[in-house]
Amino acid sequence: MAITLNESLKIGFSDFWSRKIRSFVTVIGIILGTMSIIVVLSLMNGIKKKTLQWMMERGGLSKITVRRNWQYDNPTNAREYFTWKEIELIRSLIPDAKYFNPQLRHWIRFSYKDKDYRSSIWGVVPDFKYVEEWDAESGRFLSDFDIDQSNDVIVIGTKIQEELFGSENPLNKLITAHGRRLKVIGVMKHRYMKNDGAVGRDNALSYLNRRTFVPLSTMIKKGTGEDRITRLSIKAHDAKSAPALKEKLENIILNLRHGKPVFQIESAEEEAKEMAKNQKIFQTIFFIVSIVSLLVGGIVIANIMLASIQERTREIGIRITVGARRFDIFFQFLVQTILVTSIGGLFGIIFGLSILDIVSGYLGIDLIAGINVIVIALIVSAGVGFFSGIIPAIIASKLNPVEALRYE
Amino acid sequence: MSVLINIQDLKKEYKMGKIRVPALNGIDIEIFDGEFVGIMGPSGSGKSTLMHILGCLDTASSGKYSLSKQNVSNLRKNKLSAIRNKQIGFVFQTFNLLPHLNIQKNVELPLMYGGYSSRKRAKKAIKVLEEVGLGNRLRHKPSELSGGQRQRVAIARAIVNDPSIILADEPTGNLDTNSGNDILSIFSELNEQGHTVIMVTHDPVVAKKANRIIHIVDGLIKDGNNS
Repeated sequence: MAITLNESLKIGFSDFWSRKIRSFVTVIGIILGTMSIIVVLSLMNGIKKKTLQWMMERGGLSKITVRRNWQYDNPTNAREYFTWKEIELIRSLIPDAKYFNPQLRHWIRFSYKDKDYRSSIWGVVPDFKYVEEWDAESGRFLSDFDIDQSNDVIVIGTKIQEELFGSENPLNKLITAHGRRLKVIGVMKHRYMKNDGAVGRDNALSYLNRRTFVPLSTMIKKGTGEDRITRLSIKAHDAKSAPALKEKLENIILNLRHGKPVFQIESAEEEAKEMAKNQKIFQTIFFIVSIVSLLVGGIVIANIMLASIQERTREIGIRITVGARRFDIFFQFLVQTILVTSIGGLFGIIFGLSILDIVSGYLGIDLIAGINVIVIALIVSAGVGFFSGIIPAIIASKLNPVEALRYE
Repeated sequence: MSVLINIQDLKKEYKMGKIRVPALNGIDIEIFDGEFVGIMGPSGSGKSTLMHILGCLDTASSGKYSLSKQNVSNLRKNKLSAIRNKQIGFVFQTFNLLPHLNIQKNVELPLMYGGYSSRKRAKKAIKVLEEVGLGNRLRHKPSELSGGQRQRVAIARAIVNDPSIILADEPTGNLDTNSGNDILSIFSELNEQGHTVIMVTHDPVVAKKANRIIHIVDGLIKDGNNS
């Protein structure tokens, strides 16, 4: 013979309902605690997703970039660029790199008819579109043939298209750059990512839309006339193999410069891990704060349950008299406490979810509440009930029935 | 008639700090199946203590207590719970109903701890409430009933599990004479139906309803242990 969970839940519900105001006051702490857990976890999810999205927009986690190390002041004047020969050597030493894009950038004024626009011009190779995962939307991107022939062709971003051409079709038009006429063969796909947190700058990727691309060979031979390649971005086969490839590349480049760290080599995968590590610190602090507030709620509940058990001493005596075992009493009160905190948790989840938009609007970050967030919040609130209910339940189950019946 | 209760040299002491307070000083009682026994004595005589031990709510300090030929002196608490649930029905002076439950739920309480399904519980509870004349008040809370009616609910709760003994502790103490008489006649009826009734009282008029009266003074039986 035993009292079932069903019975305990029924008793718990009717008690909860028959003392509505007290029940509500009891669970306020739990409601607030659960709300903050929902908001904090959703915020963490949002930040995590945003970071990953940012990394993906910039070429994904398998990308490795090489550029001038500005933290090194280069006292011996080691060369701060690569020659085409060095680039070819590096390429031959890392056959495991999937894509390989040496590049060179300048700032230049473009003009078309009576309009002009100042922007960056990038000398790149066709691998660019794989490394950056970004291709032409209309027309075409640069080809190997363009590189071989050092063709006077250019692919432009949507912003410069808008500035120079307006509604006119730019394809096969000639624009002037540095006194040289370049034929527009393609327009890059428009890039957009919602910019959270900053006012007035809606598109976090708008800088990409201002860029233009020409064959690296054209840039070297006809543009500056100098064989100076300042950047290199490559792509490993996958994110997992990126750190190893990065290390290999780092050694090669250090050797080329006799151990002088003139260049800085970054792996997106490592960068993402570093960012995740930094976020983890904040996440942990936020989470602990939420848990502490729930614990405070739990202590309040333990206190109220203790008072309630004292108030119900006679009831406990009656139940024992008609055959309740100690475990039945223990179970009834424990279930009731867990029920109370779970109901509080449920309301906390509902309220928490309903304020996500407000918090999101205020912080400017998307808050993402997955099913995991809801499950964690529920488990934590029920867990608080368990821990705050266990001592009152033990006390209730240990009451002496004879004394309990005499209790006034 | 077979022996239902057999008590030999039962003693009970309470510890109050370092002082031992004797409540029962060696009691021998035999109660037979189907008897209606009154236990009388002045306050402080130990009659309530005896009643609690008879009802398995408390255990003796020494001595032997057999109930239905089973020695219950040294049983574990869970076994005692089962005995209280199945074999004993309590009726108290202050009714001891749960105020927030309606009377049907109050009567169902022993059945719930007895592991009955809710349908069976309702059926049995309604039946006994009809027997005590409250079949039309099932949804009422105890506070909506008169004292006499409340005590009838308590009796219904005591008999719903069909126990072998009904233990009543001053069942008419909080009632007016008319209601008290009603309650006493219910006990007589129950006794006629075969239930063993043990009633603690200090009122000689009430005690007269019993077939036999056991007097307790200072934790000892004065007379009346032989039918």
